[in-house]
Amino acid sequence: MAQYADIVEIVAPAEASQGSRVDITVRMKNTYSSAIGIMVGGALEYGVSPWPGTSFPEPSANVNAGVTHSFSGYFIMPDKKVTIHAYSYYYGADGSWHYDDEMTRAVNLAQEVESQFGSIEIVSYARR
Amino acid sequence: MGAVYLPSQYGLLLVPLASVQVKPGDKLRITCRYSHIGKGESQTLYAAIGNSGWAGFDEVLHGSKTISVPEDANWNYHEDYVDISITTVISAGVYDLYAKIGGAIPEVISPTLHDVVEVLAETPESEFGEISITDYAKV
Repeated sequence: MAQYADIVEIVAPAEASQGSRVDITVRMKNTYSSAIGIMVGGALEYGVSPWPGTSFPEPSANVNAGVTHSFSGYFIMPDKKVTIHAYSYYYGADGSWHYDDEMTRAVNLAQEVESQFGSIEIVSYARR
Repeated sequence: MGAVYLPSQYGLLLVPLASVQVKPGDKLRITCRYSHIGKGESQTLYAAIGNSGWAGFDEVLHGSKTISVPEDANWNYHEDYVDISITTVISAGVYDLYAKIGGAIPEVISPTLHDVVEVLAETPESEFGEISITDYAKV
């Protein structure tokens, strides 16, 4: 259970093709009684160590009490199923970021269909 | 003249196909429509003129070219053409036509269009047979 920066949802596609850009959104709610700074972080679990990170162009925001903020990010789909780990942090009175919450979401690797032809027909023929 | 059966509200309708006349030096352009799904790739579009018989298609002339097929997430139709150069290798007569995608082991083959190409005899070289005076007068 989060203390102040509650991750409400990770929005991501169910599957993606290898090498494609996967856009994600992490929705985070300020559960504190007044405005605080909250920050998002992300990592990708798919069998490599250390876990690669995700990109969030604007990873932090000042959020009013009770408001849910959406952080947009992305990553490049690897060659296997990946689990997104999203983390939340809040900015404390001591001037430091404090880890608060975590949520995961899986993105499956889309199976690419091999090239296949179904039919061919001659639609016209003419002297040139 | 060739013909194809097409479905209609009256059942199958026999639609005659117009034949095209060609002679040596011409090109015959064959336009094909094909369906595709999956990754993009380069393939050979191939068409041939010849005679369809019980033993298969006896090709006399053919043309081919490489086509770039785009990636298709769903079944999509595409159109492309291939030219066959008409040479003196083929003798005058009426011929059949078919097209395919792929090489020795084709990915897909079209139905054969029967008797749709009429090859005309080559126009003979210029030649004079005889001459005679038909008139003479003062001018």
